[in-house]
Parts: sequence; structure tokens; C-alpha cells
Amino acid sequence: MYGWLWRRLPGGPVARLVQLVLLVVVVGLLLWFVGYPWASLHLPVDPSGLG
Amino acid sequence: MGRLLRIAGELLVTLGVVVFGFLAYMYWGTAIRASDAQRAYTSQLTSHWSNDNPLEALADLHTISPGTPFALLRIPQFGRGWQLAVVQGAGVPQLALALGHVPGTAMPGGVGNFAIAGHRVTAGNPFWGLPSLGKGSVIDVETITATYVYVVTSKPTWVPSSDLAVLAAVPFHPGEQARQKLITLITCDPPWTGTSRVIVTGVLVRALPREPGS
Repeated sequence: MYGWLWRRLPGGPVARLVQLVLLVVVVGLLLWFVGYPWASLHLPVDPSGLG
Repeated sequence: MGRLLRIAGELLVTLGVVVFGFLAYMYWGTAIRASDAQRAYTSQLTSHWSNDNPLEALADLHTISPGTPFALLRIPQFGRGWQLAVVQGAGVPQLALALGHVPGTAMPGGVGNFAIAGHRVTAGNPFWGLPSLGKGSVIDVETITATYVYVVTSKPTWVPSSDLAVLAAVPFHPGEQARQKLITLITCDPPWTGTSRVIVTGVLVRALPREPGS
């Protein structure tokens, strides 16, 4: 999977590394600010709520 | 076969990182989110309280929409600066940001049972220390009309999460006519689960009316 991604990225090794780091950062930010907040309200973790 | 195994391994490692990130978010991310909301709620309340007349605002207390802050809860035993806003409603969206007043229960200082729910863990762990409260512990509830001082009457009680009799006007005695002014604090136990709840009950001992504009 990561090998396939590495081969698809344009440029030399340094350019590919920069793009990969940027990709990881973007995915991380999306998870932190969109994915995880949504999941935290829908998964039964510490269900203290009373309706 | 080897290629498939490699892809499966990469997917599992990725999944592990995502799950670890989620746990980190639940612990730190929800605390940051709740802390930001608490700052906004406290600022909103103090501004509202200094500008409005308590007598005129008294009627509004009974028609608060879900998610609206209306009180500040202080438990001196948890530390001098421990103070959290209480919002109307005790559903998941409300408890993600604050302590929640259980709809249908009494309002602060009223006859009956003023019930507040809060997370044991996540959202800044607001009620982490609830089981440590005992007879004589003080709970202050500040609203636009007054500061209500409650004193805990007994050791915490553990009940199954399905037991809602704790929310009755007379806790554990549904249907009985309330005569006392009580407060009930509720959270989950053990932490991270919903199998049972820790209940702390107190009785009103003093109400200190707020001066207009204070």
C-alpha cells in the first residue's frame, strides 16, 4: 500500500518524502478536527449522558 | 500471498495508529474542546449576570434551551480554582462541553432534586473525583439569582446505569412528594464504561442572594 503510494508520487526521493509528510499531516489534521470529534459523539465511550 | 500479507500488515499498522490517535483525542482533544467551551460559557455567564436584573432573569431560568449555560458549579474539595459551567440538558453533545442539568429535575435552590451529570473521563474529566466526596463536602451552585450552598449528606452510592430512581424528586423514592432542596451529582463508574453510576447527594443549607449588577 505504502509502496504503491511511494511509486505514484512525482519527483525525486526528497520531493516524495516532503509530499508524504504533507499527506500524513493533512490526514492527521482531518482526523483530529473532523473525524475524531464526530466519532467521539457517536461511540459509547464513558456514556454519562442521561438522554 | 506475501504481497497480500504485506498489505494486510500495513493496513493493521495504519488502523493501530488511527485508533491510538483516537484515544489521544478522547483524552486530550476532548479536554481542550471542553476547556475552550468552559472559558466561553464562564465569560458569557459573568457578562450576562453583571448586566441583567436577577429578579427579571428568574423566569428565564425555567425556560432554558438545551446547551445554554445557566450556573457555575464549585466543589472546594476539588481545588480552589475548580469551577465548571452547567448547561441545560444531559445528552452527549452537552456533556462533551460541560456539566449537564438533567431535564425535568429541579432547578438550583428549588424544592426537589437538582440533578447534574458529568463525564468521569474525557471532556477534561470533570467528575473524576466524585467518588472521593463524602458527608460534609460542600457543593456551591452560582446562578444569576443566588449562590446555593449544598452539603453532601452521605458517602457516594453506586447504582446500575439503568436505575433512574436516583433522579426522582426524592432520590430512590419515585412518586414521593419532595420537601427538601437536594442536589444530585452523577457520573460513570468504572471509568470508560457505562455499567454503573456514582451518585452523590447533598442538601441545601444556605442561599446567598446576588445583588443586582454584582
